[in-house]
Amino acid sequence: MNGKSMHWVSGLAVLGIAVGLTAGFAVAGAAQSVSGKAYSTYVNTPLGSSGYSPLAVLPPVSGTDGAEADAAGSALNVAGALSSDFLNSITSGELGTTESGAQSTASAASVNILNGLITADEVVANVMSSVIQDGAFSNADGSTFTNLVVAGVPITSGDAAVAPNTSTTLPGVGYVVLNEQIPSGDGVTSSGLTVNMIHVYLQSLTGATCVLGVCTPGALTNTGEIIVGSATSGVAR
Amino acid sequence: MLTHTILRLGPGLAAAALLAMACQDSTPSTSVKGKPNFWAGPPPQCPAGKWTGGGRIDPPGNYDAVDETSGGMPPRYSDGLPPMNGKVTFGFNVFLAADQNTGQCFVQKGEIQVNHHPARVAWHVSIHNGVDDFDNATVFAAVFPDNSGRGFCVVVGLPETFMTARVNANRGFEKVQFEACDNDRGQRQNSRTDAMRWRASGSASGDGGDTGLTYLTGGNIVEHGGP
Repeated sequence: MNGKSMHWVSGLAVLGIAVGLTAGFAVAGAAQSVSGKAYSTYVNTPLGSSGYSPLAVLPPVSGTDGAEADAAGSALNVAGALSSDFLNSITSGELGTTESGAQSTASAASVNILNGLITADEVVANVMSSVIQDGAFSNADGSTFTNLVVAGVPITSGDAAVAPNTSTTLPGVGYVVLNEQIPSGDGVTSSGLTVNMIHVYLQSLTGATCVLGVCTPGALTNTGEIIVGSATSGVAR
Repeated sequence: MLTHTILRLGPGLAAAALLAMACQDSTPSTSVKGKPNFWAGPPPQCPAGKWTGGGRIDPPGNYDAVDETSGGMPPRYSDGLPPMNGKVTFGFNVFLAADQNTGQCFVQKGEIQVNHHPARVAWHVSIHNGVDDFDNATVFAAVFPDNSGRGFCVVVGLPETFMTARVNANRGFEKVQFEACDNDRGQRQNSRTDAMRWRASGSASGDGGDTGLTYLTGGNIVEHGGP
């Protein structure tokens, strides 16, 4: 991992002519908040682990300000679990007088999970959340997989989306959820969305026993997870 | 006198021309009156402006032909830069300020990140205290209504100096220009009405080009704290 950087802009209004607008906002929307987070990969398996990487987190935003944070990595390799390169995470958010919002993007290229069990030329997670007078909402438009293959089965040809929360069993491994979407908020004054483009749940059978010919079935328990392409955005007023 | 014609020289020459001409004229007080041809549309205005956004475009799809020449911006590829096609993701935040003497818009502070995925090139622009972190030059900007009448656009990195971006953290620096249009101001967000354009000289990345003004595939652009 290298080339990591994070930047943000926030703070004071920069122009005297903005003072009036800022003051007006303070009355109308003091409770507004925005949040955002993006990371390309996360690995927590018996084979090895790697934290959220590269991680971009939206810094606090106040007034009528905005902020941006980004992070990048050239490559990541957790032997036997995940390899990928051209890793990029971006999040930005803003508080405004008529609209506030946050948007996050995470991407990873040359994705190889569990020694080729899942591969993709590229994965992009893209989410946005916005709140205006009429309500709050979020979407994951622009979230796609490029040439995704799961257990030898081509899922996308070229760059294409997959239906939200598409789950596929991985025999002997667990299962994978593609375009996993986790919404939040009430849709009126708040909204948020997390999208995990590839979320592998590793499972193993535990508790199964046979005593004197009497067998007790075991239960599948999660033993690890791998996430590729995760983006989160949220707003509230 | 600088004009947008410097980008008509072709990709190879454009980068050198960008750098050379940037050195000739880099102060706010000498720039506005010398730009009548470039700014053939409404004159540059500098309202209180804070712009933030991010998302994705996929040029040449979703081309925003109606709005591209708003404010006198040149049509795509007309400056000699080749098409920059395919997946582009980005995020940005810029605060605008006006020069007290000339009234010209410049960026007080900002961050812009743009990734061109097919070429695996990532650009980053960082501006603090009114100057580009990577060349210490003022980054000029302009805000103008778009042709469709739906909103406003901001161009960051006017032809006086464009602006300097770092390429892939360690591959050097090159001149770039960024444009974003907020076309759904205060209304229910529709990703395909906001638009973004990126132009890069390619001198360091080898990936010079022009995306053309392109509707977002996803994401949002918000002008906040402005008029």
